[in-house]
Amino acid sequence: MKTPAAPAGSRDLDSRGRTFLDRKVVEKIAGQVASEESFAGGSSGGFLGIGAHSDFSARPKVTVELAGNIAALSVEIGLLYPVPLRQVTEQLRRRISERVNALTGVEVRQIDITVSWLKPADETTGRRRLL
Amino acid sequence: MRQHAGAMNRTWLVILGILALAGGVLILLAASGTLHAMSPATVAAESPVVTGDLHTVFGPASVTAIVLVAGVLMGSLGLLWILAQIPRRNPADRYRLHQDPASGTTLCDASVLASAVENQINTLPGVVGSSALLRGTAMEPDLTMKVTVTNRADIQHVLHSINTRVIPDLSTALETPLRRTGIQLEVSGRNAIAGTTVDTTGTVIY
Repeated sequence: MKTPAAPAGSRDLDSRGRTFLDRKVVEKIAGQVASEESFAGGSSGGFLGIGAHSDFSARPKVTVELAGNIAALSVEIGLLYPVPLRQVTEQLRRRISERVNALTGVEVRQIDITVSWLKPADETTGRRRLL
Repeated sequence: MRQHAGAMNRTWLVILGILALAGGVLILLAASGTLHAMSPATVAAESPVVTGDLHTVFGPASVTAIVLVAGVLMGSLGLLWILAQIPRRNPADRYRLHQDPASGTTLCDASVLASAVENQINTLPGVVGSSALLRGTAMEPDLTMKVTVTNRADIQHVLHSINTRVIPDLSTALETPLRRTGIQLEVSGRNAIAGTTVDTTGTVIY
């Protein structure tokens, strides 16, 4: 993907080279932005998706469809319970859209969010913890 | 937890009742001779109701086919009615929580919300286990819960906790009050085993 055109300078743009951004870069940035929110999490552990457990410190799974400079994202996310789901997902959508656009220049048109788990913040894993 | 075909049963019983009542009134009128007095074209009270040769009426193959199709149709309707008596869970599928689909959709499985409710109920003292089921839409959700408590549990406390914590938390998550809530309580001889550790701070002395 080509980055947004810089202001025309004295030098020819083609002679300066091109910057390509992989789809996975956008996916990781969007996942990181989502995980920075205190109420959102992803899944960690497991093998080939089997045995994975919900984790507030993990990055949510993000899939990106790029068409030129426009992206459509699908985010699979776990959320804190109880939070107003409509409000927090809308907040998350705005945040991801702004940050991805600011960091990569890609315009995010659509973010589909699927809530895969809901957990209270103080829920323990059932394992003994080292004090 | 399961739903029955009560409304459909009542509707069809009313329809069948009206038809049976109309048939009974017609027979009474014919037997008393009132029908013949009202309409001379009908048969008199003493004469047979069916006149003429029925073999000629049912002779054509088309009539036989029509009777056959009508019989199969009525039999199928009866079978469907019997099948509708099987109790069903009818859970909600996915709740759509977005307002403007153009900017993206927000989906949450009703089972995900039900699991969160179950986890919350299971932490209440005296609760052995629970299952929750969500029906309806995201704007008008119905919650049905089955809670199993120990035989020494304080049931009033459990119900109070469900009404003041569990249900309001689900309302907060869905941002709408629940339309209907059902709680089924069961008492079990098993002990409530939480199996969880608690966070604590303090000095460990070796």
